[in-house]
Amino acid sequence: MIDMPLLPLIILMTSLGAAPVLLALPERSARLRTGLNLAVAAVKVALVIWLAWKAAHGVVYDLRLSVLPGLDLHLQADPLALMFVALSAVLWLVTTIYSVGYLERGPHRARFFGFFSLCVAATVGIAMAGNLFTFLLFYELLTLATYPLVIHRGTAAALRAGRIYLIYTLVGGLALLLGTLALWGLAGTTDFVPGGVMAEVAAERPAAAQALFVLLIAALGVKAALVPLHGWLPIAMVAPAPVSALLHAVAVVKAGAFGIIRVVYEVFGIELAQGLGVTGPLIAVAAVTIIYGSLRALAQDDIKVRLAYSTVSQVSYITLGVALAGPVAAIGALAHLIHQGVMKITMFMAAGNLAEGLGVKKVSQMDGVGRAMPGTMAAFSLAALAMIGLPPFAGFVSKWYLAQGGIAAGQDWVIALLLGSSLLNAAYFLPLLHRAWFRDATPEAANAPARRKISLWLAAPPMVTAGFVLVIGVLANAPFSPLEWTRFIVTREFNGGL
Amino acid sequence: MPGLALLAAIGTPLGLALLLALPAARGLVWRALSFAPLPALALALFGTVPFTVSNDWLILGSVLGLDATARLFLIPAALVWTAAAAAARVWMAGDRRATGFGLCFLFAMTGNLGLFLADDAPTFYAFFALMSFSSYGLVLHARSEEALGAARLYIAFVLAGELALFAGLGLAVGETGSLMLADIADTALSVPTVALLLAGFGVKLGVMPLHFWLPPAHGAAPVPASAVLSGAMIKAGLFGIVATLPLGEAAYADLGVVVTAAGMVTIFAALLMGARETAPKTVLGFSSVSQMGIVALGIGAALMAPGAWGAVLPVLAFLAAHHALAKAGLFLGAGAFAVQHSPAARMAVTVALVLPALILAGMPLLSGALGKEALKTALGAGPAVWLPWITLALMLSGVATTLLMARFLVQLWRKRPAAPAGVESDGLVIPFVLLALAAAALPAIWPTVAGSAAQPIAEAAPGTPWPLVAGALIATAAAVASHTSRVGWSAVLSTLTAPAERAAARVGDALVRRRRALSRKARALPPALDGWIAEHRLGQTGIAALLVAVLVIGGAQHVAPTDPIAPPAAEQNGP
Repeated sequence: MIDMPLLPLIILMTSLGAAPVLLALPERSARLRTGLNLAVAAVKVALVIWLAWKAAHGVVYDLRLSVLPGLDLHLQADPLALMFVALSAVLWLVTTIYSVGYLERGPHRARFFGFFSLCVAATVGIAMAGNLFTFLLFYELLTLATYPLVIHRGTAAALRAGRIYLIYTLVGGLALLLGTLALWGLAGTTDFVPGGVMAEVAAERPAAAQALFVLLIAALGVKAALVPLHGWLPIAMVAPAPVSALLHAVAVVKAGAFGIIRVVYEVFGIELAQGLGVTGPLIAVAAVTIIYGSLRALAQDDIKVRLAYSTVSQVSYITLGVALAGPVAAIGALAHLIHQGVMKITMFMAAGNLAEGLGVKKVSQMDGVGRAMPGTMAAFSLAALAMIGLPPFAGFVSKWYLAQGGIAAGQDWVIALLLGSSLLNAAYFLPLLHRAWFRDATPEAANAPARRKISLWLAAPPMVTAGFVLVIGVLANAPFSPLEWTRFIVTREFNGGL
Repeated sequence: MPGLALLAAIGTPLGLALLLALPAARGLVWRALSFAPLPALALALFGTVPFTVSNDWLILGSVLGLDATARLFLIPAALVWTAAAAAARVWMAGDRRATGFGLCFLFAMTGNLGLFLADDAPTFYAFFALMSFSSYGLVLHARSEEALGAARLYIAFVLAGELALFAGLGLAVGETGSLMLADIADTALSVPTVALLLAGFGVKLGVMPLHFWLPPAHGAAPVPASAVLSGAMIKAGLFGIVATLPLGEAAYADLGVVVTAAGMVTIFAALLMGARETAPKTVLGFSSVSQMGIVALGIGAALMAPGAWGAVLPVLAFLAAHHALAKAGLFLGAGAFAVQHSPAARMAVTVALVLPALILAGMPLLSGALGKEALKTALGAGPAVWLPWITLALMLSGVATTLLMARFLVQLWRKRPAAPAGVESDGLVIPFVLLALAAAALPAIWPTVAGSAAQPIAEAAPGTPWPLVAGALIATAAAVASHTSRVGWSAVLSTLTAPAERAAARVGDALVRRRRALSRKARALPPALDGWIAEHRLGQTGIAALLVAVLVIGGAQHVAPTDPIAPPAAEQNGP
């Protein structure tokens, strides 16, 4: 097979290049837009598979474009980047299909798909960024590209949500900019290197290193929705269902979590972070977020808000696993990055289908929806059970590794935390399943005018992702499963760090 | 080959469950329902154990297989599922929620049969969770107030149990460094880990104080579901304890005391609580709780004295099989009773129900009594301090079970279990009778099935009838007492004296009639004849008196010579 050193750039350009075209397309040429969207998304999946194949066979991709001396635009395709790129490419394809069905005959489709594409391009850039500077650029691009999607409906609530979202993320972005500059000033480089670049700085000026850690984590914590920086996420739920799905699964929230992984492992290095005494507080923040998010989710009647608070809780599993500072916990954390994405995207698309097909937006309206939409609700139920951590689904695998990681790190209390979280997960998801499957629809709901048959464009994607939830759990140990890939990454990070 | 057999054993119920999603295939699935457990049964009966099949790609490296112990649990479980599935087919024939029930039933079957075949912790946990969570739909099925409450209680306990298991298995794997159940059971686990595992499995077993969910759930579920909940799924808790705890490897004196005490309390508290219940199936649920108290005694003793485990394990496996068949039989019997239309048919089913009830209550020579005797022997190697108490508890548990069985049979008539209309009676009677007969024949079959593990049963004493008799007497007394308190003493006395009064009245009537007849005849007959009759009567009386005298004298002479030889007192001083 021919070698293509520019492959990472090509992958980035697929969606980045498609964005202006999609924006420029006239509103009515729907067929062309759909065709372009799907073609690009499919090509990208193919390219990512090719990239993964080459990378797995030892081809190293490393692209640099010097901006200032010592400050490069740097794209690379290490296993960690590949993992995130693959997740975003696959879920983007699924979400694109879903969006086409969802926005059928809706207004502003050109704008929507243009920014949608830009948003995914930013995610790919974040994944493949080889230094914090490049990461920062794409991180800001993501903020700006997501804003039009959040306010897509143009209602007062949407505009308000967009404003709050922008305030949170721009302040976070500013903090990240400061952090990047500080890193550059202190360490002389912003490169991501397994084992970190801060060893000398930390030896000379530990307080400065600690302050930088706090600044960077806080900056990334806004998007990762760490309590108390999570306020924007539940409000941003006014966005259309596919946007919420992507936001929660790969784009915004995961960009924050992914940044935390990079900072902890490749800017500071896990040993150094432990030495600086900053992992303990990070564990505490993650633990508080996990429990707080679940507790808030319990009280929500709006399905999407409940799912949003659940995301607050679940994404912090990633932070927790990273901060526990052991290889086993790290496997759990990275695997959860993928698993949570697949589970949550399923639930959001299913929730979107309930709203579209039945006009059901609240938990209290869910009586008997299982009979009305069996496929959608089966997908939702599978994802919910996986979230609770039931085997053999995806969520169990990451929870199991986090628990084992806690034990390996000598922190047995992590099990108690996971149990508490699982219990709360069950408490806010099982009632939904009970209503959907074991109650009869109320007479008003059965004859509601909002009832309409949803198209296959909407029905199929959640079932496909639910299939992923099942397959990546049942085949967790198979070659090229997310778990195996994660193990490979962790071997590399921890060998590099030791 | 073992791989294919395993695939058939797990894949058959799972595949049928998935087929239920297709409306066109539903008729086929219901017809095939009672065949679903058969591949697993065949594997257990004819497979050569032990064997394992590694599936490196599945879950975290799933290992499936069957060993000699798991086999002994799988066989009765598969039998119970087969019988219950046959019953479910007719029970659900006209139910509008039949598809949902079938789905939950088949998923629970997959989990229940699969967990006996799992050799590693995550796979085992997956099957266990599948069984527990899908049974929610079985408990809830009726959607009545009662069923809703029972289901809520059930799911709360299931969650608590699953979480305890997640923590227990997670810690156990952490301490062992291996995912394999066999390695976990060979490691001296820490006390919190063992406690968590005991709690997680204890919920399923229904040992007090983790039993609250069990009687309501067994009472609220439809009859075929109650049969598997009680007959097959409870045993999954016992199997979990057997498969994961380092019994026989390390001593856990404190936990042992707790489990033994819990077992003793369970045996009797279940009686006290069950006797107050009015729904017959709930009474059976309490009887299950009580029976699992006996099992807990064995586990507690083995926790205190690891040396006893080798002897206790085969007995527990036998007790589990015994309870599975007898209790599932009783539940299906309750269903068979409920669907009968005529009192005569109901009476026939009741009479048939006495057989499994007697087996459970400890009728000598039948499996319940043999199991208890064998357990007593096995616990001889157990903690000496506890032995007398355990022996006493086992003895009294026979009384307790007899009382619960009596209560069950009485309540069956007073509060007939709900049954769907138009159920084909044979569909319930046949599985019930077959299970009851299997339970009765268990002592004879067991050596063939279990091989050397049946040794303690074959050598067990036949057991004594006294607990049973005492129970029956107390039950009778209780029945009289309760009747008395309901209708008052005077009414009872009048009931007791009524036959005598009726007899007296009838005799009086007869005498009056006779006198009248005689007087008619006397008026009709000539006075001469009257005189003859008077003479004749005198003669007759004389003959009669003579006969009596001869008999008395002759009898006395006949008895007298045998006196010194009779009574054979030696027989009374038996064991």
